[in-house]
Amino acid sequence: MLSVKDLHISVDDKEIIKGLSLEIKAGEVHAIMGLNGAGKSTLANTIAGRDDYEVTAGSIEFDGKDLQDLEPHERVGEGLFLGFQYPVEIPGVSNLNFMRTAVNGVRKYRGEDEMSAAEFMKLVRAKAAELKMDTEMLKRFVNVGFSGGEKKRNEMVQMAVLNPRLAVLDETDSGLDIDALKVVADGINAQRREDTAVLLITHYQRLLNYVQPDVVHVMIDGKIVKTGGPELAAELEEKGYAEVA
Amino acid sequence: MPDTVIDSYKDQMERLAGSLPGWDSARAHAFDRLKNVGLPTTRSEDWRYSDIKSLRKVAFDPMQAPEATPDVPAALSDVAARLVFINGQYQEDLSDLGDLWQAASVRPLANHLMANTDRVTELNQGGDGVNLLNTALMRDGFVLSIPAGVEIDDPVEILHISSGANNAAAHIRHLVEMGEGASATVLERFVGDDSSYWVNSFLQARVTEGATLNHIRLQEEGPNATHTATAVVSVGAGGNYHATNISLGGLLSRFEARVRLLVDEANATVDGVALAGTGESHDMLVHVDHRMPNTTSDQIFRTVADARGKSSFQGKVTVAVGAQQVNADQSFKALLLDRTAEANAKPELEIFADDVKCSHGATVGELDDKALFYLTSRGIDPTTARQMLVEAFTDDAFDRTGSESLAEAIRSRVANWMLGHTVKEKVADD
Repeated sequence: MLSVKDLHISVDDKEIIKGLSLEIKAGEVHAIMGLNGAGKSTLANTIAGRDDYEVTAGSIEFDGKDLQDLEPHERVGEGLFLGFQYPVEIPGVSNLNFMRTAVNGVRKYRGEDEMSAAEFMKLVRAKAAELKMDTEMLKRFVNVGFSGGEKKRNEMVQMAVLNPRLAVLDETDSGLDIDALKVVADGINAQRREDTAVLLITHYQRLLNYVQPDVVHVMIDGKIVKTGGPELAAELEEKGYAEVA
Repeated sequence: MPDTVIDSYKDQMERLAGSLPGWDSARAHAFDRLKNVGLPTTRSEDWRYSDIKSLRKVAFDPMQAPEATPDVPAALSDVAARLVFINGQYQEDLSDLGDLWQAASVRPLANHLMANTDRVTELNQGGDGVNLLNTALMRDGFVLSIPAGVEIDDPVEILHISSGANNAAAHIRHLVEMGEGASATVLERFVGDDSSYWVNSFLQARVTEGATLNHIRLQEEGPNATHTATAVVSVGAGGNYHATNISLGGLLSRFEARVRLLVDEANATVDGVALAGTGESHDMLVHVDHRMPNTTSDQIFRTVADARGKSSFQGKVTVAVGAQQVNADQSFKALLLDRTAEANAKPELEIFADDVKCSHGATVGELDDKALFYLTSRGIDPTTARQMLVEAFTDDAFDRTGSESLAEAIRSRVANWMLGHTVKEKVADD
């Protein structure tokens, strides 16, 4: 589903990703673990199409399509989703309006009819309930005044509503207490199906206790230096990055 | 200003003799003052952001009735009454007074002056050259008097249409009188074709004890129009004046609000949104004068400017000696969509009391890249994303229109305006 080959990425002429390759198939959950500054967020943002990140060599393909030919919103239309490490606050735009415009943007890209307001409300209420988000929060401005945990929960509701085929989740577990972590894990597990894939980007093993990955990669200085099964995460936690890598 | 320009205005004025009962001497007096001060230039502090040199170079003819009746746009919401003016003159057949005449007095200026010859002195002659010219040349307008205790729920719409009026001007005067405890919403809406006309509007309002006036101005003039407008308002004890000015059209527009808070607990809010398209200039100037203690005021202005567009704001708050416990806030935010766009902000506080709370803030910025990426990363196309952010940016200023359906209609016009101005990619880093 996602095929990254010998990827090099620069930010402000400084090379951050230095030859990274990754293959993710439908039905799989991958975790990329690494310390701060390893380039994890750079990879996630580049997959989503943020324009400050320059791909200088290599390729990223999603279902055989070169992602670099697609604008960020078109990537979402193709079935990609990025969960933000720091979800953005947007005063003046209600969460509901935001999500409905997003859903209809994706439908428009796919040549489908807009979702009616009633149909959308039914969908968003159901997803918010599954993720234990108070429906009052849907009426508030996007992420404004939300706690760290509420912001991450809001990311999960957006993911559930958009129902992507590949979710890239950038440090979705950071700054969460144990209850919020469980809710986020439930959201990820609900998204885990035979026809979908998830790429978890994380610093700690914590989330992986609730979302069992199929493959774990260790990333250091812009490269994947080791790949293994779920046991690799436990090993990292125990021995630290220096020893394992 | 060339004498010939002044002289032709004198000719125009003389032709109006007797048209408004009792007004001839005021015209002559205003004209004499105009001759001394001339039309404003950018050297005058209040006009520094609006260069009306095209108005100083040639005299504008009085607007005539157009050859064909222009299209009359539908009302923006349910209205209590609709007063339609074409080229500065009231159109009885196109207007609809609804049931308003049963609850309130609503009549053309000439009828008002005919019935109340003694009230001619209540008409304001104005301060600057543009006001004085209005005083000298005004022909028509409306007087709306809401009796004490009467509450009019739906807006009273005053629609001004300018059509086929190249190099012609309309000088309009309206009076609004709110009796004690009365409330009403007055919507002034201005539309026009692409001729190069000038609309010079002057509204006087008296908000007495406990009354509320919502004054909404929707300026959607044609692309070559000049629009100058003044509102002079006095507010009595516990009275509320809420103004929302929306400038969307015209080549050059300026709105000046002068509000005096005369008695305890009088309150004024003056808000505005200006969207300056390519090469357009919108200027908003507010002066709130706190004459007495315990008076409050608040101003929220949001402006957006595209290539070579200019948005300007001057907000002046004065607090008189002894006017303690005054609260006055002011917030101005400008958004620039292009490197060549311009925003000017000049807050001014003159405080002669020591126990007051006054605040002001001004920011100028561009669309937030992070927010834009967040929206597009959820499948929203960049044009729609920009539109959403601009709507959100201006939204604060629509909170006090007093009518949700009207606010909705205005929001959708802001969104439409954005459609024509969102094609560019971001300008921050090139």
